[in-house]
Amino acid sequence: MSQFLQATVYGLLQGGLLALIAVGFSLVWGVMNVINLAHGAFVLVGAYLTFELNQRFGLDPFAAIVPVGIALFAAGYLVQRGLINMVVKAPIFITLLLTFGLELVLVNGLVLLYSGDYRSVTTGYAGDGFTLLTGVRVPLGRLLAAAVALAITLVLVAVMRHTRTGLAILATGMDRGAARLMGIRARHVYALTFGIATAMAGTAGAAVSAVGTFSPADAGRFTLFSFVAAVLGGLGNMYGALIGGIVLGLVEAWGGQLLPGTLVNAVAFGVLVVVLAVRPQGIAGRAFYASRVEV
Amino acid sequence: METSTAAAGTGQGEKAPVPRGRRPAWLPWAVGAVAVLACLGLQSQLYSGQERTVTTVFMFVTLAVGWNLIGGFTGYACFGQVGFFGLGAYTTVVLMVHGDLSFWVAWPISAVVAAVFAAAIGLPLLRLKGHYFAVATLGVAEGLRELVTNVPRWTGGGAGITIPSTGAKAPTLWLGNDGFYLLFLGLGAVSALVAALISRGRTGYALRAINQDEDAAAALGINTTWAKTVAFGMSAALTGAAGSAYAFQQVTIYPERLFDVNITVLMVVMVVIGGSGTVSGPILGALGIAVVSEYLRQHFAQWHSFTLGVLIIVAVILLPQGLVNFVRDAVRMRDFSLLSNVRRYRL
Repeated sequence: MSQFLQATVYGLLQGGLLALIAVGFSLVWGVMNVINLAHGAFVLVGAYLTFELNQRFGLDPFAAIVPVGIALFAAGYLVQRGLINMVVKAPIFITLLLTFGLELVLVNGLVLLYSGDYRSVTTGYAGDGFTLLTGVRVPLGRLLAAAVALAITLVLVAVMRHTRTGLAILATGMDRGAARLMGIRARHVYALTFGIATAMAGTAGAAVSAVGTFSPADAGRFTLFSFVAAVLGGLGNMYGALIGGIVLGLVEAWGGQLLPGTLVNAVAFGVLVVVLAVRPQGIAGRAFYASRVEV
Repeated sequence: METSTAAAGTGQGEKAPVPRGRRPAWLPWAVGAVAVLACLGLQSQLYSGQERTVTTVFMFVTLAVGWNLIGGFTGYACFGQVGFFGLGAYTTVVLMVHGDLSFWVAWPISAVVAAVFAAAIGLPLLRLKGHYFAVATLGVAEGLRELVTNVPRWTGGGAGITIPSTGAKAPTLWLGNDGFYLLFLGLGAVSALVAALISRGRTGYALRAINQDEDAAAALGINTTWAKTVAFGMSAALTGAAGSAYAFQQVTIYPERLFDVNITVLMVVMVVIGGSGTVSGPILGALGIAVVSEYLRQHFAQWHSFTLGVLIIVAVILLPQGLVNFVRDAVRMRDFSLLSNVRRYRL
């Protein structure tokens, strides 16, 4: 029983982190109809940036969230403005390919700079923790990471719903043509959206660097998790991606306890395919962009 | 300005009928036949390392042509194509190792198994559109890999499995570099032939209609479910046959390598850069990418993947509709400027 509780706690904490990654991915997918295969690579860019800041200036990984977030926002804005906007109206393979090329460049750039070895950022406190009632341990680093992830996600959702910029992003996602007629600069809005998504990926990377090891080869795994979480939650639905991430974290943790070998991955993909075939709008409710007009 | 309203959703939306009499009908067939003969002649000029490289290029021609049937003609971005590759490979291995069957029996069976599997998952999944289809097929491929990894009694699991291919106990003796060169050349030629026949036949026009507007195609009386399933099954059969032959060529296979998602991505890269929805595009794309990739690997081993990524980005931005489609449109419109081409999909 306590083993099960431990897995649940671990899954919830891991799920919070996955949710932060998935929300940005889902935002880009929902607003621009672009599947960003480089999303996981941006997570790792954030992690390595944190690693570098920690090595050079001894900056705490959680404090590094701010500079890393700003740097990745700028990078994401420029990537969208200079590259993805060039082909954003093309069929989906084109944008998929472009982001795949981007992923190759980022991941192999990291390999060239830092080699493929596993790295980690050590802090004095991340390994500490406290014990809940029946011997369930809660590691402090993971708790902090999950809390930060949840806070950023909630702030983003509030920004999207209640600020002019956020509403402009949502409006552009629903109908680009109409949004432009209302005076919204779609190029700028798309770049902002992508910047926000990469900034979230980067901050998630900072948190990832604090709670475990990472190497450039992890990029694909993060992208895949974002895929699954975004689909589970319903496309473009930010709360949905949050829930999807947490569900995925729980499934992973429980599956790791109950199933032999790596069968847990097969279960996650099985769930994904069934959800898609039966309920493509996601488990969390109706799709936000169901009425999207493609112009 | 949102000028390309019609083109945005459909890709090669503005495909006008080719004017009659400009190109003799026998020309593509003649070019194909000459190309196959040239490849046969080339074989004697290669030493064994080069021969293996060219064999791999032929395999990728098959894979790209296969993916083009569902991804290019029909417009359904299948991101789980490598699943059929792995399924074909493991069907062959299981039949040869446990069933003691000859490769020449296991090979066609593997292609049929891949096609039947594709048709079975296609019925529910081909109702999905766009990214949803892409993700669902990706999930199927990843699920297949985990399945294969987790039944070690039959597949050897993650530790891999070896086909007995030498000695008296082998169901079929290993074909040697020369044999596999011919095998993959034949497979590539047959794939191109299948694609050409489909492209010119009723099914090809049905698939293009589905690509441009599925509802309109259905309204015209096309049985879209049937057409899509046929395209998916044919594409899986070619991919499965390639996987099967690849497994026999490699002798020892591992799920990680046979279900590597990068193989799918390579197929897509080749098709898109060559020109999706055409017969010659995937072939040229496969040749081009394979040659460039091999050149980079030999001369800039460290920078190979990085440079490949840069090349993909540049190619996608300059030629989003692919080489063959660009040249065809450029000849027709008398406009060879890459800059005006870039404007086509720019926001």
